[in-house]
Amino acid sequence: MIGGLFLYNHKGEVLISRIYRDDIGRNACDAFRVNVIHARQHVRSPVTNIARTSFFHTKRGNIWLCAVTKQNVNAVMVFEFLMKMIEVMQSYFGKINEENIKNNFVLIYELLDEVLDFGYPQKTDTGILKTFITQQGIKTQIETILNGPKTKEETTQITSQVTGQIGWRREGIKYRRNELFLDVLESVNLLMSPQGQVLSAHVAGRVVMKSFLSGMPECKFGMNDKLVLDKGNKATDDLSKNSSGKPSIAIDDCTFHQCVKLSKFESERSISFIPADGEFELMRYRTTKDISLPFRVIPLVRDIARSKMEVKVVVKSNFKPTLLAQKIEIRIPTPLNTSGVQVLCMKGKAKYKASENAIVWKMKRMAGMKESQISAEIELLPTAEKKKWSRPPISMNFEVPFAPSGLKVRYLKVFEPKLNYNDHDVIKWVRYIGKSGLYETRC
Amino acid sequence: MPTVSSRGDAMRGLAVFISDIRNCKSKEAESKRINKELANIRSKFKGDKTLDGYSKKKYVCKLLFIFLLGHDIDFGHMEAVNLLSSNKYTEKQIGYLFISVLVSSNSDLMKLIIQNIKNDISSPKPVHVNLALHCIANIGSAEMSEAFGQEVPKLLVSAHASESVKQSAALCLLRLIRTLPDAMTYAEWASRVIHLLNDQHMGVVTSAASLIHTLSQLSPGDYKGCVSLAVSRLSRIVTSTYTDLQDYTYYFVPAPWLSVKLLRLLQCYPVPEEPAVRGRLVECLETILNKCQEPPKSKKVQHSNSKNAVLFEAINLIIHIDSEPNLLVRACNQLGQFLQHRETNLRYLALESMCLLAGSEFSADAVKKHRETVINALKTERDVSVRQRAVDLLYAMCDKTNSEEIVAEMLAYLKKADYAIREEMVLKVAILSEKYASDYTWYVDTILQLIRVAGDYVSEEVWHRVIQIVINRDDAQGYAAKTVFENLQAPACHENMVKVGGYILGEFGNLIAGDERSSPLVQFNLLHSKFHLCTPSTRALLLSTYIKFINLFPEIKQTIQNVLQNDNQLRNADVELQQRALEYSQLSSITSQDVLATVLEEMPPFPERESSILAKLKKKKPASVQAIEKEEEKMKKSPPSIENHVNVPKEVPANTVSRLTISNSVDLLGLSTPPATPQQSTNSLLVDVFGSVDQPVAPKPESNISKFLFKNSGVLFENNLIQVGVKCEFKEHTGRVGLFFGNKTGNQLQNFSASVSMGADLQGKVNIAPQKEAPTQIDGGAQVQHFVNLECITFFSGSPNLQLRYQHASTPQQVTLKLPVIINKFMEGTNMPAADFFNRWKQLGQPVQETQKIFQANHPIDTEAAKTKLTGFGMSVLINVDPNPDNLVGSGIVKTKTSQIGCLLRLEPNKEAKMYRLTVRSSVGEVAALLCTMLEEHF
Repeated sequence: MIGGLFLYNHKGEVLISRIYRDDIGRNACDAFRVNVIHARQHVRSPVTNIARTSFFHTKRGNIWLCAVTKQNVNAVMVFEFLMKMIEVMQSYFGKINEENIKNNFVLIYELLDEVLDFGYPQKTDTGILKTFITQQGIKTQIETILNGPKTKEETTQITSQVTGQIGWRREGIKYRRNELFLDVLESVNLLMSPQGQVLSAHVAGRVVMKSFLSGMPECKFGMNDKLVLDKGNKATDDLSKNSSGKPSIAIDDCTFHQCVKLSKFESERSISFIPADGEFELMRYRTTKDISLPFRVIPLVRDIARSKMEVKVVVKSNFKPTLLAQKIEIRIPTPLNTSGVQVLCMKGKAKYKASENAIVWKMKRMAGMKESQISAEIELLPTAEKKKWSRPPISMNFEVPFAPSGLKVRYLKVFEPKLNYNDHDVIKWVRYIGKSGLYETRC
Repeated sequence: MPTVSSRGDAMRGLAVFISDIRNCKSKEAESKRINKELANIRSKFKGDKTLDGYSKKKYVCKLLFIFLLGHDIDFGHMEAVNLLSSNKYTEKQIGYLFISVLVSSNSDLMKLIIQNIKNDISSPKPVHVNLALHCIANIGSAEMSEAFGQEVPKLLVSAHASESVKQSAALCLLRLIRTLPDAMTYAEWASRVIHLLNDQHMGVVTSAASLIHTLSQLSPGDYKGCVSLAVSRLSRIVTSTYTDLQDYTYYFVPAPWLSVKLLRLLQCYPVPEEPAVRGRLVECLETILNKCQEPPKSKKVQHSNSKNAVLFEAINLIIHIDSEPNLLVRACNQLGQFLQHRETNLRYLALESMCLLAGSEFSADAVKKHRETVINALKTERDVSVRQRAVDLLYAMCDKTNSEEIVAEMLAYLKKADYAIREEMVLKVAILSEKYASDYTWYVDTILQLIRVAGDYVSEEVWHRVIQIVINRDDAQGYAAKTVFENLQAPACHENMVKVGGYILGEFGNLIAGDERSSPLVQFNLLHSKFHLCTPSTRALLLSTYIKFINLFPEIKQTIQNVLQNDNQLRNADVELQQRALEYSQLSSITSQDVLATVLEEMPPFPERESSILAKLKKKKPASVQAIEKEEEKMKKSPPSIENHVNVPKEVPANTVSRLTISNSVDLLGLSTPPATPQQSTNSLLVDVFGSVDQPVAPKPESNISKFLFKNSGVLFENNLIQVGVKCEFKEHTGRVGLFFGNKTGNQLQNFSASVSMGADLQGKVNIAPQKEAPTQIDGGAQVQHFVNLECITFFSGSPNLQLRYQHASTPQQVTLKLPVIINKFMEGTNMPAADFFNRWKQLGQPVQETQKIFQANHPIDTEAAKTKLTGFGMSVLINVDPNPDNLVGSGIVKTKTSQIGCLLRLEPNKEAKMYRLTVRSSVGEVAALLCTMLEEHF
């Protein structure tokens, strides 16, 4: 189990140090600083073993987050916890940087007391934590002065919720408007050869739900997953179409929020749950088959002379013309001995950024089934050593209003037997956002 | 230095860039900033308009800074080279700096750079020359040596070069010489370089002293003249007060570096012979020693450091001279003061120098006065390296008078000594105690104590050596036996102690057996109690001890045999142990007490030789492993003389074992029914299975008897069913052939018969009588023996036949073999002086009596091999008879019952033609002819 948790700034100064177990000494944080933060070589491994002590670290901005243990723990669990911790801190005070951490010093220690107990992770759900760790410690004091101490009811409620079966939702929630929002967020990763052959592609997606529902409603979520659909009509032989003729997708693996009843998913392939109040991540999934790639990049690199080369890049959008892609950015790496660049593009803005050794081409938006082109002339300086340039791939960033994996939400039904509202009264919103992950084309 | 323009000094851009980088918060930010700067510099260098010197310098400087931060720089070299041709000092300086840091020696730009350096070297401005010289020295490649090997010396000896140039030139030349010592000729400017020692400028002298030191090592003859100059320079320095050499006085010590260099230089040459120079040198050294007695002029550590540096170098020179007793003793006394100095470094140096002083005849006694201090240092010193030096010094100062004390001190210290130096200490103690032992009981005590204190560090050589010495010294044996016995009684004793104990008790246990506290059984039980705690090699040694005990103390034979025949031994996984146990138990059960006594008689004294421990200490390398192994073998084996008497199955070479595996194993394991011993005479073939060692490893299954022409045993025949081994013995006209039939199958060979028959030509010439009836069957995997006695009546040719009949898988089989009984087996060599030989040779001069053959050599001509063959054939090879050493002459007598036939032989090789001429003369012509034909095909 986790023996301690440290937060460092970029210089390696300790900002937060919380030790949960006696086997971790004070000097552990120095060991990490000396061997990882100030290491002569850049340490790439997220797990470092120093003197039989394991250090699991991750970096957010300029802040190092490091969990320490002497035991043989599940490394993935530790990292999951670190990510959750980052999420929690972000939801409490926004961006994680040195100043914010220093300003929320007390809060962070309060959180650390709650999320870990003797090194075992406890509640890490932001929503629940916020019910009993309020953001402004001082404000709480004023409130208690004004309103008197918390009522006994409130305290018992918190206790029953935290220790009860449904830890993620308290009872007695009431909303005038029963409303829910469903976001399908996907990031698409691609590596393509210069000839346009897909070398690897996958989509990592999340379904995020924001619910404002009264009482303890039971929800049922349906999507066009092949497994879920097949269960519905086993008689159909056609694997990619269901009875209504809509395409289904194959999900490679998925994980659910703790509210989803896994036993029901195992037996009936239906996703049913009592949602947490507010925003939470309902599921996470990954697909590798039948991905619709939103963009195609066609590079053309030519060496004109010893000290000159020409780069032409064509970008084609490959989705419905009615849809608009946004925040498009294409990054074309330049050789290390570039001495000057002339850029010419039809659309958007392009600029040579010397500090990043790349030409960055930005377009605000682009409709589907269009194409655009950039050409650049790169001047080179002859170098002493004739080392060949490794030609890193061209990378791309974008945002599209559909799910590249093809995932569709079929339904989300809400049942609340005790209160007098039904499925039709709930206002539902569904949104699809596809983003680029590592979207690269070799040149 | 020329005045630098204020603009040139500033380089604000560089300062801003550096502070930008210092302010970067992360590595990423730093590399971003650097990338940006690199792109900027690239565009500037690429730009069409030419850059002025200042900006070029600035950008080159930035590149240099980026390079020093650890990033690759692959451009800007050209710009740097351009800077070299600038007239401004700062620009030139940056250019040279960049080049000496960044340009690799195999760059294309090297030619250009060299051209620029050439220009600068011939420049009238000394600062430019200096820059160029520094650059040459910094690069210091072979190419530079070639390009400037001639130019730099010219600068060095030129009349109008300034001092600073000369200084730089001397050091630059030194660097070039170190790179490529052969590229230059030194003789031509030798005398002028030597005279630099007389230069007014101390800086020039200092750098020249370094140069001359290296040069004098390369060609000592040319620089001999420097000695007197160095001495006079040195005397001028040491007699000067610290106010005389203003700039070159370092914390009140005049020119310490130069003094040290000069003292080192003087150590390269023998003591000067001219009395004037010599006197002056001695005077100098005395002055240096005197000065050390003076109270320090400053409390600063630099003052004492520089003073001591000169002093130690002076002492080194005194040791080098080694003929001034007065100086040596003074030096020794001086060092004695340092032995208790506060500074660890000083103590270390003092001990180290004293080690050298101890080797000199004049100062050895002076060194010995400090024995107490050194021993004290060994005990109380905190620094391990100093303790190590103290051990070295004790070793060096040890002699007959103080050896006991020193060895005792070292032994006492060994208990708490550092692991790093223990092994060396053990070796030293062992050597000292052996070298200066007046009383061997003391020696034995010391070594045993050594093993007890630091058993793990006692190498094989040490305990081998103690055994050698005990065996060679009769007076020490009884005491040794008693002491080891006492030592072994300790509840926990080191394995090496067990080894020594096992060996010594095995040899001399009888000397203490009289005392009932160390009666044979007690001795045995004591040793055997350690048996199970030891490694196989020690156990093997103990087994040998046990068999020796059987010999020494017949009364405990039964106990020991029980141990030997215990399954732990007989079925031990370790082959060596198993074999020893088997063989020893066999040896003890079959043989008579006489045989046992002969086999196991006391070890003969070892030949005196250089102590192997000393060799080990000298080398401290595993190179001497072979020698050790040999020695070990010798110690394990009983002496060869015994082995010749009786074929003791002690160490069976692996090849014989593998060859006869099946038959042997049966033979060996059939302990319950020991094989009927064929003969009870001492001279019999005890367990002939093992044959003689020189048998071929894998004989081919052929009944070719020609190979038996030269030897008496081997495999006569082998197929997949049966193996026939033979072993013959001949004495005068009688002989005995032992035949060994081994069944290689798993089944019984039935209806076996072996009969020896003679052709018609042998009838009446040879008598054959089997000792017993031949066996009629051979069990699967078993081996049986059959002996046949022979008598040679008269001369014969050819050989008797052996007919084997047996039934395998109900099919009868028959094999006919030739027995290796040939006429030459009855020949005995005779030795005679040259005169006798020639007399007889002449007597046998009739044409009938001589056969001569000239034939092509079948094998490469090798005199030694031929000699061995002839000896094996039965002839004595006579040495110093034939005037030509390549020729071989031999003589022998064929002994039959009826007559004795003398034979003389002469073999003359012709190496060019690869031919032999073989002449055999015999009193009987037929014999000569027969021998000649037999030998012909074997050379």
